[in-house]
This record gives sequence, C-alpha cells and structure tokens, in this order.
Amino acid sequence: MTRVLLKKYLHDAKWLLLACGGTIFAFCWIRVWIVSRLDTGRFKAILDLLPGDWQRFTPVDFEWLITYTGRISLAYDELIVVLCVSIWAIARGSDCVSGELGRGTLEMLMAQPLSRIKVITTQSLVTVAGVALLALAAWGGTCAGIYNTTVTEEALPTWQLPIPLPWVGTEMPIPFSTPEEVSSPMADKVDVHVFLPATANLFALGLMVAGFTTMMSAWDRYRWRTIGIVVGIYVVQIIIKLVGLAADEVNWLLYLSAFTPYEPEAFVHVAEATPQFTWSFSVYAKDGSWQTWGPMTHHTVMAAIGLVSYAAAAVIFVRRDLPAPM
Amino acid sequence: MLDQDANASLELLVTTEQLGKQYGDVHALADCSLQVARGEVFGLLGPNGAGKTTLIRLLMGYLKPTSGRACVDGLDATHQSVEVRQRVAYLPAEARLYRHMRGQDTLRFFADVRAGGDYRRSLALAERFELDLSRRVAFMSTGMRQKLALSIVLATEAPLLILDEPTANLDPTVRGAVLDLVAESRQQGRTVIFSSHVLSEVEEICDRVVILRAGQLVHTQDISALRKCHRIHAMIQGEPPLPPDHLQEQLSIRSPNQGQIEIDTYGELGPLLGWLATLPLTEMRIEPIGLRAVYDRFHTSLAIPTAEDDGQVAAAAVTTGKQETTSSTGDNLVAASHPGSVTAGRARSAAGEPTVSEDEGR
Repeated sequence: MTRVLLKKYLHDAKWLLLACGGTIFAFCWIRVWIVSRLDTGRFKAILDLLPGDWQRFTPVDFEWLITYTGRISLAYDELIVVLCVSIWAIARGSDCVSGELGRGTLEMLMAQPLSRIKVITTQSLVTVAGVALLALAAWGGTCAGIYNTTVTEEALPTWQLPIPLPWVGTEMPIPFSTPEEVSSPMADKVDVHVFLPATANLFALGLMVAGFTTMMSAWDRYRWRTIGIVVGIYVVQIIIKLVGLAADEVNWLLYLSAFTPYEPEAFVHVAEATPQFTWSFSVYAKDGSWQTWGPMTHHTVMAAIGLVSYAAAAVIFVRRDLPAPM
Repeated sequence: MLDQDANASLELLVTTEQLGKQYGDVHALADCSLQVARGEVFGLLGPNGAGKTTLIRLLMGYLKPTSGRACVDGLDATHQSVEVRQRVAYLPAEARLYRHMRGQDTLRFFADVRAGGDYRRSLALAERFELDLSRRVAFMSTGMRQKLALSIVLATEAPLLILDEPTANLDPTVRGAVLDLVAESRQQGRTVIFSSHVLSEVEEICDRVVILRAGQLVHTQDISALRKCHRIHAMIQGEPPLPPDHLQEQLSIRSPNQGQIEIDTYGELGPLLGWLATLPLTEMRIEPIGLRAVYDRFHTSLAIPTAEDDGQVAAAAVTTGKQETTSSTGDNLVAASHPGSVTAGRARSAAGEPTVSEDEGR
C-alpha cells in the first residue's frame, strides 16, 4: 500500500520536480560559467564603491565574496534557487491535505483502509525527497559548472619596475611587457566539496518551508488559503530578517526570523577557510575560544522547525474532522 | 438470554448508540440510534441537510462524534477506523477521482491500494457500465466518473457497502444496472447502506428505511410491511361501513366525497377480501401505498396535521422528532401512526371534507 501511494505521489509530482530541479541545475551551472567569464579584480572595484554599511547584509567579507568560491556560493542565495525550492515545498506541502480536501479526492482515498498517518507520511516523504533532490540539483549544477568551465586570467609579467608614489605612500608596479592570459580549469581554483554545507543549508530551508506548509495544510480545508497564509508568513519573515540586518538597534529581530539560519555563503566560507568546522555545531577561534554557531546548528534549527511542523501536521490531521467536499 | 443477545449482536453489522455530531449550536446529527443487520439493504432518506451524509461520515471515521458511538462489525468507527474501512466499501456522493489519471490507471490504483482489491473485477464492472477507460478522468462526463467510482467500489469484497446517492447522474440503463448490482450484493450476503433521494429505487431495493429530518432519526420503515399496505378506492351506496372487529386494527376508512370510500389496509389483503365482497362497492381499485406517503409525512409541510386532525401521533413524531417504528409483523400497526392516516389528514385538511377514521368508526 505504501509503495502504491509513494508511486502515485511521485507520479503526481514529477513534472514540478523536473521543472524546479532542471531550473536549479541549469542556473547553478550557468552561474559558474558567468563567474568564470568575469574577472575577479573588476568585482573588487565595484565592491569598493559600495558603502561600508552594505557589509552588514552579507555574513562574509567582501574580500572573500569576490573570489571564485565566494561568487559561486552566492548562487545558493539567488532568488531563482530559493524560489524553486520554496515553490516545490509550498506546492507539495499545501497539496497534502487541504489540496486533496479541496479537490474532493481525499474522500475516495480515505475510504480505503489507509491510516491518516500513512497518507500524510507518504505525501511528506515524497516532498522531503524532492527537497533533497533539488538541493542536490543545486550542488550538481555547481559541480557540472566547475568541472566544465575554464577560467582565463591575466598573469602579471615577472619583470616589473616599482615606481614609488610619495604622496600616497605606496608603489605602483610598471610591467615591462603586456599581461599574459592564462587559462585553467575552474576545478583547479574551486573545490566542489566546500559547497556541500550550502547544499545542506538549502535542504534544511526546504524542509522547514515544506513542514510548515504541510502543517497549515493539515489544519485548513482550502489550498488557496493555505498558500496565502504561508506566502504571507514567508514574506514577513524575510522582511524581519532584512530589518534585523539593517541596523544594530533592531538586531534582535534576527532571532524572530526563521530565515536567519539560512546563510549558505557563510558555510561555504567556513568549509573553505576552516574545513574542520564544516559540519560542526560551533566554530572556535585559534585560541580555542567559542567564536560563533557552526553550520550544523543553523541546519539543525531549520530542520527542527520543519520536523516539528511535520509532527504537528500529523497530529492535526489525525485529530481533525474531514469535511465533505464543497 | 445472554446467548440470544450474543447471537443478536453477531447478526448486527452496524450499530449506532446516541450518535451525535454538533458544530457550534448546530446539530448535524443528534441521538441517532440504529442497527443494521448483516445482509440487509438499509435505506437512508431525508432531504439535503437532514444528516444522512453526516451519519455516513461518522461511520467512515471521517468525523469524530460529539456524542455516542458507532460500531461496524463490532469495531469502533472512530478509534478503529482503518479496521472498519477494511470492511467497508464507500461511494461518496459526487465521488471525485484524480483528474490526471486515465480510467484504467484509476482502477488499478484503487485495486492496488486496498488489500484484497480486485483489478479484474473492476475492469469487468467498467465493461458492464460500457465505460471508456482510456480517457482521462478530467475529460469524463459526470456520469462516466460516477460509473468509474462505482466500478472501484463495487469491485471490493467488503462485507458492507455504503452508497451515497449511487445513481445520481446516471442514465436509466446504468441506474438499473446499479440496482441490479446492489441486489446481487445482497444475494452474496453483503450489507448495503443506501442513501438516495429517489424514493422509487429505495423502495425497490431496500429492506428497511430510516428517515432523517433536521439531524434526527424520525422514522424507521420496514419495506416488507409497507408493501402490505394498500389503498382501496371505490364508490359506495349509503354510509361507509364499520369494519369487523378482527380487522379493525388493519384498516382505516374515510369518505373523501359523498358516495366515495377510501380504505387503507396495513396487513395482508387476503382476510379483507371476504369482507369487501359483502359491501355494496362498485368501481373498486386497489393500489399500493408507497414510500412517498411515508416520506411526505415528515418532509412535506402539507403532511403536518392540524390540531383537529386525527393523526396526532404522526404530528407528535414530526414536532418532537421522536422516532416511530413500524414492524413487519403488523402487530403494533395503528392507523394513526401509519402513512394512511397522514394521507387521510392531508386529504381532509386540503379538501375540507369529512372523513371516517378508524377511531371514529368504532
């Protein structure tokens, strides 16, 4: 019975999964290709023009962010990636109970000797598996991009004459020949494994959104209302996070946003700079003192919200009345 | 005595005790106590909002009762819902199936999802209904979807079939086929709970019928007893006669117009025929009293007798919502609690003509 249900739900969801997965995979690949086409040094010039306050909106230094790894890691924070995962999570989660109730198909399904727990569990398994596949699609696209892209950089000539600039207090190197263009595979410059924590972070985000949506769906009887409530809360949570980041006085707002733990580029940075903390709950300084929460803490917070929401959804669904379809 | 009780409980497949469902101040169903025996075809009658679907949904475990309990095959419908649904095949009113699936995929899915599901039997039923299974559900007409749902539900071997308006949206041919299938199910020893607004088919197929009104079970009607009820129309010379003592409890007599007589009978016709032959009757016509008369008693405003009517028992049943029961033995049949009485009240109050009731006749 479980196999039959799983097969059916997979069949129902396949087109949405393929569309979202394909988009994420392609976007992450293209993103790497775009990164390879633009010189890092030019980014530095752009970032230098930004006001200093902008640094507070990103959890990593601009210096690191303009590296190949940093710029590729930003793909996980791009609207398309987050949107695709959220669309999948909200679409599947909202369909779970209120969607089936609204269409009236739950009536015939529940006429079969199936427990409500089994119905919601199989639905949710497909949703969570889909979230995992989408997160892996992001990593797969990143890997495909990294392994299939070549980076062309200008190599400064060995011979340079340093001209001192007395008023500025520095030297300007004058090359004796034209810069040489050197091509090398992106894989030589970027390690694909450092993106795994960001992938886990993306999965945890999807799990959280899917779990919460399923909980609302289990409580509601109209899918459109479920989606409306979830999207409303989603937007409010993003705004809370942005406001919390904007000023120190309202920094406490970050504790009220479920999106605060979603910092994929920070975890890529941790994985690259301090690989020993890639899967840690805490990050420690060199002297052994506690520095900050590690990537695993962030993943766990979002995953826990998702799992608790799923548990609540199951309880609500088991206890509720199933109204007749309208 | 205990053995008898145990045997009786074994014979019952569905029991409800004081079953009720309340939404705020609204009683969708209140104090519903009924019993359905194994092998019985049990009808649920009542207008929309009477509580039929609520009763069915409580039996299926879709709703949690606010009072009382329901049992199917000795299993609690709320707490052992999965086990109950193993024993039940349910066709919802307006069954909605997965629109993206083709007909055959739908049959396959529901056959696979139920332990003991029979895909071949579903296919055979679909063929009997002349259903095109290659079409997606989304492109099927309402009647085709109903046939598809029936193919799913009737293919199971569950001992209890709950059919909520199974013939809605069906053409007369398929409607007949569905009724035949219900009859076949009864022959196989299966129990059927049959909810419908079509009184003729309920009367045709059911052994017993309950009538619900505003969430309350107001009447239980044994169809075999109803089939014994007849109305005799005739012309008579002189005053309407008094029935003999041994037939008094089986008759009600009235005279809607001068020279006309109507006799409602509530038992076997045989014993009456001898007496009728002694009366100076002409143009005699005998017709059965149908379920419509019983139904109208509870669900037509005209059926509510006025204070001067002699159908007080019926009126009391309507106004208090208390349940009446007519048995198949006919022993406890009284004119006032029978459809004939109410029809008499209707005829009289509508026409304003004097009638002779059984009581008056005495």
